[in-house]
Amino acid sequence: MSDARFVNERMVGSSVIPDEAIPLVEGDGRFLNDIKLPGMYHVAFLRSQHAHARLNCVDASEARRLPGVIKVLTGEELLGKVDPFRSMPNRFSGGESVQHWLAVDKVRFCGEAVCAVVAEDRATAEDAVDLIKVDYEPLPAVTDPRQGERDDSPLVHDSCPNNYLIKREYQRGEVDEAFRNAHLVVKRKFRIGRKQALCLEGRGCVAGYRENTFALTVWMSHQLPYVVRHYLAKHLRIAETDVRVIIPHTGGGFGQKASIYPEEFVCAWLALTLRRPVKWVEDRIENMVASTHARDQYIELELAADCEGRILAISSDVWVDVGAYSTYLWSAGMEPLQTAGLMPGPYRIEAMRYRTRGVATNKTPVGPYRAVGRPSASASLELLIDEMARRLKLDSVEVRMRNLIPVEAMPYRNANNLVHDNVNYVPCLKLAVLKSDYERQRSEQRNSRPNGKLRGIGVACFAELTGLGTSTAVGPGTLLQPGRDAATLRLETTGVLTIAAALPSQGQRIMTAMRQVASDELGIKLEDITSITNDTATAPYGFGTFASRTAVFGSGAVIKAARELRQRILAMGAYILQVPIEELTIANSVVQTVDRSKSISLREMAEKSYFSAKDIPQEINQGFEVTSFYDPKFGSFAGGAHIVVVDVDPKTGQVKIIRYVAAEDVGTIINPAVVEGQIIGGIAQGIGEALLEELVYDEAGQPRTVTLADYLIPSALEIPRIELHHANAPSAALGGFKGCGEGSIIGALGAVVCAVADALSRRGGDIHEFPASPERVLKGLGVLPSDGQAGRGSE
Amino acid sequence: MAREQPIKVTVNGRTYEKIVPVRLSLADFLRDHLHLTGTHIGCEHGVCGACTISMNGRSARSCLTLAVQADGAEIVTIEGLRAEDGRRHPMQQFFLENFALQCGYCTPGMLMTAIELLRDNPKPTEHEVREAISGNLCRCSGYQAIVDAILAAAGKELA
Repeated sequence: MSDARFVNERMVGSSVIPDEAIPLVEGDGRFLNDIKLPGMYHVAFLRSQHAHARLNCVDASEARRLPGVIKVLTGEELLGKVDPFRSMPNRFSGGESVQHWLAVDKVRFCGEAVCAVVAEDRATAEDAVDLIKVDYEPLPAVTDPRQGERDDSPLVHDSCPNNYLIKREYQRGEVDEAFRNAHLVVKRKFRIGRKQALCLEGRGCVAGYRENTFALTVWMSHQLPYVVRHYLAKHLRIAETDVRVIIPHTGGGFGQKASIYPEEFVCAWLALTLRRPVKWVEDRIENMVASTHARDQYIELELAADCEGRILAISSDVWVDVGAYSTYLWSAGMEPLQTAGLMPGPYRIEAMRYRTRGVATNKTPVGPYRAVGRPSASASLELLIDEMARRLKLDSVEVRMRNLIPVEAMPYRNANNLVHDNVNYVPCLKLAVLKSDYERQRSEQRNSRPNGKLRGIGVACFAELTGLGTSTAVGPGTLLQPGRDAATLRLETTGVLTIAAALPSQGQRIMTAMRQVASDELGIKLEDITSITNDTATAPYGFGTFASRTAVFGSGAVIKAARELRQRILAMGAYILQVPIEELTIANSVVQTVDRSKSISLREMAEKSYFSAKDIPQEINQGFEVTSFYDPKFGSFAGGAHIVVVDVDPKTGQVKIIRYVAAEDVGTIINPAVVEGQIIGGIAQGIGEALLEELVYDEAGQPRTVTLADYLIPSALEIPRIELHHANAPSAALGGFKGCGEGSIIGALGAVVCAVADALSRRGGDIHEFPASPERVLKGLGVLPSDGQAGRGSE
Repeated sequence: MAREQPIKVTVNGRTYEKIVPVRLSLADFLRDHLHLTGTHIGCEHGVCGACTISMNGRSARSCLTLAVQADGAEIVTIEGLRAEDGRRHPMQQFFLENFALQCGYCTPGMLMTAIELLRDNPKPTEHEVREAISGNLCRCSGYQAIVDAILAAAGKELA
């Protein structure tokens, strides 16, 4: 059953109501924690209370005696049996970090797993955790990357001099010359706080033993089923074919569920060892300390401009507090390399230079999260562009217009060596200006505010590289070069089409999108197409859902497979109907001649193909199952412009968003309502990042924000109505699609922080540290004394 | 104090008599003992609202309520929203048609809150809707489609 909100003749472009949402709205979702297997044990973890300490002795004798406890597992017991996580080699690696699944000898962050307790139920497992006695010998903690890189700093890993997990220097173009000849140089120090994805459902797994024919079946709340399968096999030293990974309904991912973590691997080992299914579900406190964090940059950015406000060069120095271990698979390079490397965004920049480091600290590791690096980079550059505009007495829209890469200059290779292929940066900004009535906003701003509020207007433009093929690295410098995924299309015996791919959804409606694309390619009615995307036992190989790639790869693979399947269907139709193949078409799940005089339904044809095979020559009956791989080769840039109007209360420091207008280029749209949801959802997370969300640690490395009462994410009251508009340009990928999952969070952070800074500038204030909490806003206004951490650099 | 206690509770119209651990939360009771897994647990400290259910006609956080506190209570969960003939509750239909869910984890709690809102205030303003659902966190949607679904529902009579 499917109907659509806006039905076009083509399914691509229609807001088809997704069947896949029906169980979720009816309470029939099957999330990880809803899975129960007979005889299943439950796992709880003892976690380090220290940021950095030597583990002298773990005494679990009392815990083991508690009735209902099956096993207490320590890191020592796993030594030599499984392979720990060594940091992925990266061209820009500093030293190596080795992460044992359960800590051995030392703990390196609060929340690191030390022991796993297996019990008959979770409550007993947690009781037993409390009975384990650990003798910790506290060590000095590294909690600031700028201290941590000094020669006299304590080391998080003895193998990592100066605590560098990542370090890179880069230069392209005549940077020194540009700064020497500049009409104006502006420089600022920015600080973007640590945050996390905050999926409403945490991580978790059920590891089954000898379910069906597989030695190990793992249900995991994760984004990359085949990657999990590969690494489970590798680290457990078993055959990949003995492992099946199934992704149940997943309560948010946002990149946090794209890394490999120890806990799920411990559970898999326990299931194989105990020969019983085990389950572990992360609780919220665990999620706040044991699932990857994000951002946490110190950025010193310098910009050289000519007298007309054109950017001649940028130079940046970036420190990222990447936490205690190199995040497994992606390395510690995610934020450090992308923050510095993607600094130019959508602007034409001929010369750039950066020095960036990922410094190990005694905090939770930093991993991928929606739009890695770009929001912090973009916000810094946008704030600096505004500063330049103020100094040159230019309007913030005008100065951006002068620097955006115009459509006619594309393809354009920027100073960071990325090619902008076909993206409407300028049309998006023009559209946002028009729709926000920008001139009127500025004139209203100039008039005094009777309510005593400071009005600010923020403009931000952004670029987001999506759908990365094999020629463009997702994680710069890593060995990981995903960029090739497959889809299998199979016409079942009833004539229903099944699409299988390993591209699980965390709410992006991937299954619906692929059905829409297949429907157009094959002329099969949407209700005759089903899709399965979450199971390595049924899907062809794929890398999974991350990096704004899934719609591009899934659709591309579907289109390629559909074209082949279509030929097979038409060939059989020609044989059965005894007409030339050119006279046939497929529409509404029926193969028919163009004049409709002869026809056969796909159902009838499929039945014949499978059950009356002797009547059809083999060379015609090739089987209605096709697998195609798709590699778009390069990525496609998406982009946009956001304009935000805020009121800042100079008494309380509170920021209220008055108006939010976004104009985006996301390429050809498959399902407009779904895309709208992705973009608005990204904006909401960006608003949270700009104003509310921050993971705070004290100087000893103790986390101070471990509940949702301390770590604030936006509620419906903090998010204004978002006015969304499109200026789309198709990409070069099959179907013209681009990714749309991440871009909007970049624009949101940039536009909101620029609006706040603009408001503060009305009273001579300024702000460089984010999120823009009331306290920081009041410091920026001089109402509270500043701590002088970030701010004005030497000029 | 006894570690276990008998309770009698009516859930979605059916009465259960069970002996439960006194420390068992109502959310765990519904999920693990009655297998009603539509109620989700997001934070276990009453902030996120994913576990919202209806208890004696008022919305309640089932993660902060003990199962023994529900003794004698009348409870409705998302599994109880469907009509007897199996049709979706109108609010469920409005959520579906307005694309008001992505991952769907907050949806059960959000639906319970939305239904209570329109029962108490059939014609809310947009701000009233936002206020009413401000105790239900959604990380995917940015809330706009949820607000629109509830406003659309307010235009129609709810069953």
